[in-house]
Amino acid sequence: MNDGLKKFLLDFYNWVTGNGARTENEDAMTELPPVLPFTMEPDKIQSRFHEKTLQERRKDWINLHGLSVFSILYRSFSIITCVVIVGLLLITVSELPPFGDENNPANNEVIDRYIKLGGNETGAQNIVAGMILDYRAFDTFGESAVLFTGAVSVLMILSAARRKNDEPKNKLHSGFNDRNFLKRAPPIHELKDDDAILRGVASLSIPAIILMGCVVIINGHLTPGGGFSGGAVLSTALILCANAYGFKKVHEFFNERTYIFSSSSALLIYALSKGYSFFTGANHIESGIPIGTIGNIFSAGLILPLNICVGIIVAGTLYGVYALFSEGEI
Amino acid sequence: MIRIIIGGFFLLSGLFALGIATLGMYRYSTMLNRVHVAAKCDTLGALFMLIGLIIFSGINFFSLKLFMVLLFLWLSNPVASHLIARAEVRTNTNLHEVCDFIEQENLKDDVNN
Repeated sequence: MNDGLKKFLLDFYNWVTGNGARTENEDAMTELPPVLPFTMEPDKIQSRFHEKTLQERRKDWINLHGLSVFSILYRSFSIITCVVIVGLLLITVSELPPFGDENNPANNEVIDRYIKLGGNETGAQNIVAGMILDYRAFDTFGESAVLFTGAVSVLMILSAARRKNDEPKNKLHSGFNDRNFLKRAPPIHELKDDDAILRGVASLSIPAIILMGCVVIINGHLTPGGGFSGGAVLSTALILCANAYGFKKVHEFFNERTYIFSSSSALLIYALSKGYSFFTGANHIESGIPIGTIGNIFSAGLILPLNICVGIIVAGTLYGVYALFSEGEI
Repeated sequence: MIRIIIGGFFLLSGLFALGIATLGMYRYSTMLNRVHVAAKCDTLGALFMLIGLIIFSGINFFSLKLFMVLLFLWLSNPVASHLIARAEVRTNTNLHEVCDFIEQENLKDDVNN
């Protein structure tokens, strides 16, 4: 064995075990930059961020107004009311019919009718779609309205606070009128949105997700799915777009105005096309659109447009909830 | 018969990979190690499982759907793990106690120099 090979093997052994002589370059590379640990004295944090707790504020308020007797009465009466209501509910639960019994009042002629005549009466291949969007369409309307109302109320509260911030500062409530009171600093992991991996994957998958959502919505009366699930799929495409390209990119085509316009017009179309049966004694009146052949996409009367309306509402609202709680605005 | 043998082999391989992932979740203590194990083994296990199911069902519309699921999982699972790991690196202030790392700004400076 010659010397060169020996030296090479020795070097290789040292490299594997890691205790050989290091070159200057390696030393320079392994010297890590000093990391500054996050230090802040706990007392300082306490004094800076101390606020009166709810309990202390309540005590101050009672002393100020001289309502100590009333507060004791109020407490005891609230406890008594709670106990009575819970007891009533528990008694009701014990009186319920046994689970799964075939003579239960839930197993009546309604299910028979849905299964036997549902296809011919509604024209929907998917019985569930026929039920929730034809027989019980007003119930689904309420669900969509609840979703929309929740998002709109959060939007109202946040936008009212923002409008207050634009006014000149009131010295009494300067803490709440601070310009940055609601717009918190972005979290550290969202500071740089220059992730090339996420952008590449998002550009590949967003069209597929949108296509999937549209298919689920449009085939709602033929296959399992429908407005709610398809709308949720569409909203994930919007959320992914916001995460990959930033909220500014989404604002170019979907902002507060678009959201309010699309959701409220979809709700209005739904209410106008289904509300009439409620005002005529909840009779099942024909919509005027022919049912068509069962199994086609253009069939089942009003179910397809209602599915599209519900999909628009759900997609906008789920994205809106995400945007409101992470950005403070849609 | 031969289809059942090959498909069963793939299913068992997927089970093995997913078992390693489960073991790693308990074996490792830090978050980055766990993300590493979960991402790699889940991706491989899903590949083996879905290939086994495709072989079981033969070439038809159902196996095409399974193939699409496979594509979507291979796109989304590594990226999601990458994002979780990135959030951990950016938010954990005590990361230097767990592992050695180079700050990204310094890394960029090194590349530029």
